[in-house]
Amino acid sequence: MNDVFIRVDDRLLHGQVVVSWIPYLQAKVAVIADDEYANDEFMRSLIESSGPEGVRVHAKTIDETAEFLKDDRDDKILVLLKSIEGLNRLIKKVRISSINIGGLGAGQGRKRYYNSIHLSDDELKILKDIANENIVVEVRILPKDKAIVIKGN
Amino acid sequence: MTYSDYFLLSIFYFWASSTSLSLGIGYYTIYRPVMAGMIAGLILKDPQKGMMAGALVNIIYIDFVSTGGSFKGDQCLTAIVAAMVSILYDLDPLEASALAYPFGFLGILIWKYRLKINNIFVHIYERKYKENKAPDISVYDGLLPQLLLFVMSTLVFTAALSLMFLLNDAVNFKNIGALYYIGLILVILSAFNILYKIKNKYNFIIFGATFLAGELLGIRAYILFVLIILTLLFTVDKKVDFAKNIFKGPIKKKDLVYSWFIWMNYSHSCYSYDRLMGLAFAHSMKNIFKKLYDNKYQISEAIHRHTEFFNTEPNMGTPILGYIIALEEDRRIKDESFEDISYIKKGMMGISAGLGDSFTQVILAPLFISMSVMLCLDNGFYPAFIPVILLAALILFISYAGFMNGYFKGKEFMLQRIKNVKQSKLHTYFPYMFSGILGMSMSKLLFNDIRPYENIFTIITIIFAACLTFMRKRGER
Repeated sequence: MNDVFIRVDDRLLHGQVVVSWIPYLQAKVAVIADDEYANDEFMRSLIESSGPEGVRVHAKTIDETAEFLKDDRDDKILVLLKSIEGLNRLIKKVRISSINIGGLGAGQGRKRYYNSIHLSDDELKILKDIANENIVVEVRILPKDKAIVIKGN
Repeated sequence: MTYSDYFLLSIFYFWASSTSLSLGIGYYTIYRPVMAGMIAGLILKDPQKGMMAGALVNIIYIDFVSTGGSFKGDQCLTAIVAAMVSILYDLDPLEASALAYPFGFLGILIWKYRLKINNIFVHIYERKYKENKAPDISVYDGLLPQLLLFVMSTLVFTAALSLMFLLNDAVNFKNIGALYYIGLILVILSAFNILYKIKNKYNFIIFGATFLAGELLGIRAYILFVLIILTLLFTVDKKVDFAKNIFKGPIKKKDLVYSWFIWMNYSHSCYSYDRLMGLAFAHSMKNIFKKLYDNKYQISEAIHRHTEFFNTEPNMGTPILGYIIALEEDRRIKDESFEDISYIKKGMMGISAGLGDSFTQVILAPLFISMSVMLCLDNGFYPAFIPVILLAALILFISYAGFMNGYFKGKEFMLQRIKNVKQSKLHTYFPYMFSGILGMSMSKLLFNDIRPYENIFTIITIIFAACLTFMRKRGER
């Protein structure tokens, strides 16, 4: 199995990820898994040109990401998703051992879960279901922060 | 210390920690310890001593980066306290920085609760909007959060001040001999820590070389400063192309400048967990919509659309604002929307934040601020202002050029900007320059203030601190 780190963060490849997470994980490949962006030529070129030095960045649909993760690779891979819904789709296609929740803005019936992380009741339920499958679901904004683990039912 | 000193210092702490109302460059100038210490010193009538204490605090915080409102301590408050104790109790700058260090954690309270408390203003604004009262965004993004911050920062500052007086009554600061060594350890730990962090095989060699050059050959810091500035001038790409100013609709140059001005002043004014910079984005669109629409409710509706969650690096990300203004103008004059405005904002904000933070905060700020520290440690009071002024000018330029180009050239400009920043030779040169500046700074610190040869304990402390960093780094692997 590949060395994969999955993060849900609606800001995707932003400051916290570039400045803190990528050096911490020593990731060499980052995949932005999002159907809308992968199919938008401008956004795709924006994303793919934005990787920091020594990091390849791909914009892929959820399906493509699942295929991508099935191939064996030596490099550490960081997968970024912007929604829990996308995560739920991805997780049904590939085996994953842990998930990081790093940033979800307010709105659409969401309530504040922790600092800048907001979850709706449905989203929290999805995360609990995922936790039930023996997948570690942690809320952690920066690498040095203490992880809050979301437990299953 | 008089009441007017207290009043001025608390106003200054508010202004610097707010990072608002300072054209967006406060964060790169007065918030930085070397400058904050100088201004606190100016109020207490000894700017040179204040700056020296600030410079040492600055070394302790040299690897400071704030992303999405998260960091470890308040360097500005630490610097102000360091300057105060240094001047009021006649402490050595090293002693002052060690004593002030714990006060930084007091300051972080502001940031922690500010993001939570600002949610209140977001909610009041939303309620008024739903009640059809067309709330004025500048009140909820500007006035109220800043007033609250003023109260909070004054409270924190007063607490810090009282704690300082109480502590000195309990244990006379002058009698704590260990402070000097603690300060020395903190400074050396920080310097070595960052040398490890910037992964480059030559950084220790360069650090050693400039250290010895400063220590043994007595080479002055300004020589290194001039060399670095010349290198930057001759190697770094300075291509600047402004688009032709073609105005197709009601928005004119002065509207764009005003919108940029608001953005720069208020980008972090109502920074909240709920929206981060959402209200600030809407605030900077206020004058634009006033130009595009006549009806008060239409204006309010348009501004409200832009209060959604938004977060970017405020200087690198300005093309988004310029481009969104162009889109909103198109939407008004052609009466149709070509792009999903919210989708564009969300897509571009993260990318420009990642690019911006890793350039302005990780490269530009440490490079120029450390040069200021280096010049200060070499007794260059006035020269120490030069790098800070250069940094402020660069930040303003990046931000202004981005805003205008975003408006005239559209989203393609963001692609171009990413390419330019990534290809910038500064990325390559930065580790060398920074290691050199650190080496020179350390040599001047030891040469001018400490003279280690006079005290065996100093040498032991330095070796101890260096070993400590080394072991900690080995442990992490």
